[in-house]
Amino acid sequence: MFNDLLLILWIIIKIIVIVVPLLLGVAYLTFFERKVIGLMQSRIGPNRVGPWGLLQPIADVLKLLTKEIIIPSASNRYLFVIAPMLTITPALAAWAVIPFSQGMALANINAGVLYLFALGSLSVYGVLVAGWASNSKYAFLGAMRAAAQTISYEIAMGFSFVGILLAAGSMNLQDIVLKQQGGFWHWYWLPLLPLFVTYWISGVAETNRLPFDVAEGESEIVAGFHVEYSGITFALFFLAEYINMIMVSTIAALLFLGGWLSPFEGIPLLGPLFAWVPGIIWLFLKIGGFLFLYIWLRATFPRYRYDQIMRLGWKVLIPVTLVWVVVVSLGVEFKIAPWFI
Amino acid sequence: MLENYLPILIFIGIGLVIGMAALIIGALIGPHKPDAEKNSPYECGFPAFEDTRLPFDVRYYLVAILFIIFDLETAFLFPWAVVLHKIGLYGFLAMMVFLGLLTIGFIYEWKKGALEWQ
Amino acid sequence: MNLAQIFTDLVFFSFAAILVGSALMTIISRNPVRSALFLVLAFFAATGLWILLEVEFLGLILILVYVGAVMTLFLFVVMTLNIDVEEQRSSFVRYLPFAIVIVAMLVILMVYVISPGHLNPSELTTTGGQPVNYSNTTELGMVLYTDYAYPFELAGILLLVAIIAAISLTFHGKGNNKTQNPDQQILIRREDRIRMVKMQGDKK
Repeated sequence: MFNDLLLILWIIIKIIVIVVPLLLGVAYLTFFERKVIGLMQSRIGPNRVGPWGLLQPIADVLKLLTKEIIIPSASNRYLFVIAPMLTITPALAAWAVIPFSQGMALANINAGVLYLFALGSLSVYGVLVAGWASNSKYAFLGAMRAAAQTISYEIAMGFSFVGILLAAGSMNLQDIVLKQQGGFWHWYWLPLLPLFVTYWISGVAETNRLPFDVAEGESEIVAGFHVEYSGITFALFFLAEYINMIMVSTIAALLFLGGWLSPFEGIPLLGPLFAWVPGIIWLFLKIGGFLFLYIWLRATFPRYRYDQIMRLGWKVLIPVTLVWVVVVSLGVEFKIAPWFI
Repeated sequence: MLENYLPILIFIGIGLVIGMAALIIGALIGPHKPDAEKNSPYECGFPAFEDTRLPFDVRYYLVAILFIIFDLETAFLFPWAVVLHKIGLYGFLAMMVFLGLLTIGFIYEWKKGALEWQ
Repeated sequence: MNLAQIFTDLVFFSFAAILVGSALMTIISRNPVRSALFLVLAFFAATGLWILLEVEFLGLILILVYVGAVMTLFLFVVMTLNIDVEEQRSSFVRYLPFAIVIVAMLVILMVYVISPGHLNPSELTTTGGQPVNYSNTTELGMVLYTDYAYPFELAGILLLVAIIAAISLTFHGKGNNKTQNPDQQILIRREDRIRMVKMQGDKK
């Protein structure tokens, strides 16, 4: 009896240990993003609040918390308030299955990849409900666009997951990482390169980030589905978007770049030299790299046109993944070393 | 097996609590001074005309329908991918026939122009 | 009966209650969007029940396919409709006899199936107590593509028919959309648009 309660308490402590750094990470990701984009555009970026502007995200949170929550008179009140919760809950819950290092996962389920994929498909709900409940034309248009875009890229994403499952022969995230052991050239980015690229593009499109952010499109539909949201309700959408960005980066690191494995594994001199570095550091470095790529993309590319987005999703990514899934399955069938043993 | 899903259930609960707590804190701390102008839907300064919920381009529905079909296909691909190294050539060929059928469907869509957006 | 068992029962009954409650709300709710969202909640509760039965793959597929795809289409359709509540109420009376007949037939069918000799609930065995590393997906994959290859291909044909049917029912070519042709716009040359005309200036 006592032990069972202790177990539940222990799980709650573990969840807090995951969620609190995650929320802090989001806060400083926004700061990092503004600084990096500032530097890329020859500006300084935020530098007023605290030393080097380091307290800027804290100030942002406080400001958003103390702003009025405006509920438009023509909206559906309940759905309008529920929509941000529909967005944030799946974004957080997905973290339950992520292994941070060997044996360091909250829930080590066998259907890990499927769980992530299923929760990812829920992201469309918060957007649709928010856009509809606002009863505003910009919001509704943004929501419909975002929904059609998200579901189109989900197919390509699903196919690239299939490639990973083929190569690893398992849906368990720990197993998938452990199958990539043996150094840089054994990671799945190499044999599954087209799927890796597809996954990354779909990941950027799924999170509605530039260059695929027609859902928000400030210059044409103002802010898309969350135009009517203010204060903390807006902050929840914002939070979910950044949590999802970190999630997409984490999945990319786990599935294609060997998760917590050291890149110097098996190299004569460098391998032993870096053997002391804990796996979680490698994982965080890889995630950081992907997040930087997100910001870099945002600073570099103009927005895609909507028909171009749909064409890329349906006419380029789906055929490419379909062909490569067949190629990988042939590789597995004929046991091509060293990846498919 | 179920013990693996207990943390997920608790995590979903905590996710809901975080969302709710944030909304409640925001509602308590923030000011509350509604007025008719502030609460009207944003339409670039014009008073809102017509209803928002209008019928949409049929293309959006078509994308959703095609998505269901491809999603089902992925659902069939997932277990196949996991066990392919165990079920040998027979299982491999079974899936190739299945994929071939869907490729025919995909080519049909393409040629019909259902994937064009203007 | 230990605490874990009590806890499992508690989870089961809460999911069951949510399932029945949200299914009821799906029917009762006036607003079609709210109905659709309650149906989504019902699917979630069903997923919870399936995972309690240790069929994780089917449970997660329920979320992926029904919640992620089918209900998205429902919402697409329902959200763009502006349904008049009055009109709905009048059609409710009109369709009532028809509905009663269908419900009666369904009830008869259910009673027939659950009756002893078909699907006797007392004869069903539970699947509980699988080891930690039990993978429902692997079990399913091992038989689906070998022993049940024929029904599997039939499913493929069904999907192909669905694609063709969906397109031929909803899509009628390009329609009368007025669109730009960027290729033509880019390839335009100065000579196509401008004609230089020599004008004689007015002479006094």
